[in-house]
Amino acid sequence: MEELELTRRAFLTTVAASAAVAALPPGCQPRRTFFTAPELATLTAICDRIIPPDADPGAAALGAPIYIERLLTTFDVDPPTVFAGGPYSGRNPYPDPRTGEPSRVFPRNSFLIGIEPSPVQELFWRAEILGSVAAGLPPQLDAQRGGPRRGLRDLYREGIAAVDNAALAAGGQHFVELTPSEQDDLLLQLDGPSGLPPDPVRGQTFLDLVIAHTLEGCFAAPEYGGNRDGRGWQMVGIEGDSQPLGYSLFSLRDDAYHERPTHPMSTPNPDEVAADGSLAPRPLTPDGDLVQEQISRFAGFLEMLVPGGCA
Amino acid sequence: MRLAYSYRQGPRRHNPDGDVLGNRALTRFDFCVIGSGAGGGTAAFALTEAGKTVLVLESGHNPFPGLDRPGPLRNTLHGNDELKYGLRNYLQPQGLLEPRTFRTDPNATATVNDDVNVLPKAVGGAWQHADCKTPRLCVADFEIKSQVENRIGHTPGLAVPGFGSDSGSANFADWPIGYADLEPFYAEVERLYGVQGADDNPFQSSRSGPHPMPPGVPMYLGLLLADAAQRTSFQGGPLHPHAFPAAINSRFYDGRPPCVDCGFCGGFGCPSHAKGSPAVTTLRSALLSGRCQLRFNATAIALVNDGGHVSAVRYVDGAGDTVLATADAFLLAASPIESARLCFLSPTPSGGVLGNASGQVGRNLMFHHQTRVSGFAPQRIHGQRGRAVSHGISDFRGLEPGGEAVRVIQSGGPHVYLGGIIEFGASQGLVIQEDGRVMAFDLPKGLVPRFGAGFKNAMRDGALTQHLLALIMQGEDAPQLRNRVDLDPTVKDVNGLPVARVTYKPHPFEIASRRFYVPVMKQILTNAGAQRVFTAPCETVLGQAPTSRHVLGTLRMGSDARTSVVGADGRFHDVDNLYACDGSVFTTSSGWNPTLTIFAVALRIARTLAH
Repeated sequence: MEELELTRRAFLTTVAASAAVAALPPGCQPRRTFFTAPELATLTAICDRIIPPDADPGAAALGAPIYIERLLTTFDVDPPTVFAGGPYSGRNPYPDPRTGEPSRVFPRNSFLIGIEPSPVQELFWRAEILGSVAAGLPPQLDAQRGGPRRGLRDLYREGIAAVDNAALAAGGQHFVELTPSEQDDLLLQLDGPSGLPPDPVRGQTFLDLVIAHTLEGCFAAPEYGGNRDGRGWQMVGIEGDSQPLGYSLFSLRDDAYHERPTHPMSTPNPDEVAADGSLAPRPLTPDGDLVQEQISRFAGFLEMLVPGGCA
Repeated sequence: MRLAYSYRQGPRRHNPDGDVLGNRALTRFDFCVIGSGAGGGTAAFALTEAGKTVLVLESGHNPFPGLDRPGPLRNTLHGNDELKYGLRNYLQPQGLLEPRTFRTDPNATATVNDDVNVLPKAVGGAWQHADCKTPRLCVADFEIKSQVENRIGHTPGLAVPGFGSDSGSANFADWPIGYADLEPFYAEVERLYGVQGADDNPFQSSRSGPHPMPPGVPMYLGLLLADAAQRTSFQGGPLHPHAFPAAINSRFYDGRPPCVDCGFCGGFGCPSHAKGSPAVTTLRSALLSGRCQLRFNATAIALVNDGGHVSAVRYVDGAGDTVLATADAFLLAASPIESARLCFLSPTPSGGVLGNASGQVGRNLMFHHQTRVSGFAPQRIHGQRGRAVSHGISDFRGLEPGGEAVRVIQSGGPHVYLGGIIEFGASQGLVIQEDGRVMAFDLPKGLVPRFGAGFKNAMRDGALTQHLLALIMQGEDAPQLRNRVDLDPTVKDVNGLPVARVTYKPHPFEIASRRFYVPVMKQILTNAGAQRVFTAPCETVLGQAPTSRHVLGTLRMGSDARTSVVGADGRFHDVDNLYACDGSVFTTSSGWNPTLTIFAVALRIARTLAH
């Protein structure tokens, strides 16, 4: 019950932190300054095929497109918001060192305040987002990488157009007009050998980028613009940032650590322990099973080729 | 003087006046320490404690605002944030601006490789991103060369790659110091950095006292694997699991709180200061002494010298300007790759490389040979709760109990297999990078879905992030003359300077140990209930650079000036006021996480120097 009360308090604190957004520096506010409405609609549809909605939210509902737009516009604000601040998000309370129980005191949300990047960090991120020429990167750094590095803003604009053009070429309809299953088929085809070409300098296709960024937008800290209300974390059964509470709470009174019964450190998860105390693992889906099987099988194959996996 | 390029061509020009910690009024320095991490932080502490004035140059930025203010430690900029560290490289240098090149074949052209030991760069050094494991080296580790040669001489049929008739293929040597020389320094740095441990490892050499703190809460996966190890037979008996010592508070200690096992440990900076990293311990003591000035965003690019004496260091500040700093003596602590590179970037008046009379600068580069054996537990093992590793075994280091003698193993004849300590680990349970995949390896495209409904199901299962158990052996890596750091002939960094070129290939010495221990490692996992047990291929088989962050050698410590770069006191044999005090001085790599030994060696060097 107390745990419930604390969860409620953590929630209220989060709400309070969200309500405070309006009073925060410009770098922390939502930004709609890059994509056109049709571009955003196409991107949103793509994100939602990467992590599709089902009983749990898809990437769009989790805010992945907002996350991506915030990344691409990070230099529209000063300081840029490449790195969230620290140490705490305010989602979890401090432990009470006297009792080894959670206290009722929550830190403020420092994740909302971007860290001023160092000169080299800023130069890199300008090159990454705006392109190396616009960032003023020394030409030799480009030359030894095979040419100028194109910025993510350009790659997104062109990549979204390429996906939409592929849809138009295939059946005369925009990507957003296709059914989800038609969208899946098209993305699979674009991800194949005759699909979207990799960027010659980065070696990545647009889908490589958008898949990676969509996952970031679903599972990174909510302060980056996605993972709305931490629902990405809830979906995969993890707790997200846990400081300053953590999982082991030291008590000065007992001179010993206490664990949190709902989130144990040294014992199995409570939902995988049967009434008689024996282990009752939840089975994987066939999809999870396949991932494990393929990794194990591929490693076994390499080990057969190269004994011990090294030569 | 300005470089051709200024970092800030954006809207704002960086003002380097703010890039200072400590006593800004100091203008004259007894010592200049290059690097503020494990070696540099420890040296700055010992030198200022002895009344010396110290200038510390740090190439990275400062995640610890207010570190030099007295009173309680201020909030750090570190947080439980996977994106910031794992993908946006808050602590790691970006390969685009600070590249390195890599090759396995000394005759091939090295190519730009962003994975060549990207140790984090920041005030307090790379260790702030580690989970701070702190085993000591043992008695035998300092005399591997003579002990193995002795065993070969007395054991008919014993052959060891890199020793005896094969000794020309490697470059093993005894350290010029022994465990007894270092033990008091080990004990002191365990107190300085705040180490937890249980004194329950039968293979460790004797200690003058217990660990300063008892172990923290064990991780479920650690207990699972420890129990399995006790049921695994090796050389006629069970294995000996032990608590893994770590510089992480398990009590209130030194003004810092006990660890709460938040899970964002290996790969992350600590939000609560529970990790005893140099910034919040030794370096902070130095900064509070009033005798230390630390300049960050300050990258040393050359040592001004006359061949036998260094008069100044030239560095680039945060605005891209070059600055000259003088001191009476200089200590290199920029990590083995960069410390060696700085020697190459510092020509002598006759056109040679500074400190390289032996021809050994940059050679004997060692990474630990990491062997990863993994399997999948049917239940969720929640690796996101804990300090990344709470238990391990040391049976595979290849020493007799007590750590004083190399063990001759009978397995179809006599053998010596000097592997290393094994960490009981797992995926850390964080999803952005599906770090379970990182722990195993990247599958070729097409073997599993990488987006869509099936992919989402696998993520919800935590197929990798919640089920992957992993044993990692930090195997001893043979020193070789051909494994080395020098300057790349064409590739440059953001300052226009030649970058480090790394040439590295494993030796049959470590591969033999790997092959011998892998089946036993698999048995441990099977006994823990893991399924689909597999060995991750070593990186060089896949054409990649080692992912080990344990980088050692390049400025070897030895008593013979012809075959080593620095002496037992850390001073370059051929430069009268230049010292090295980081992992570069390691004569051999041993089979233990190295940082506690870097601390102890740096403390010994700095103490000798200060008196």
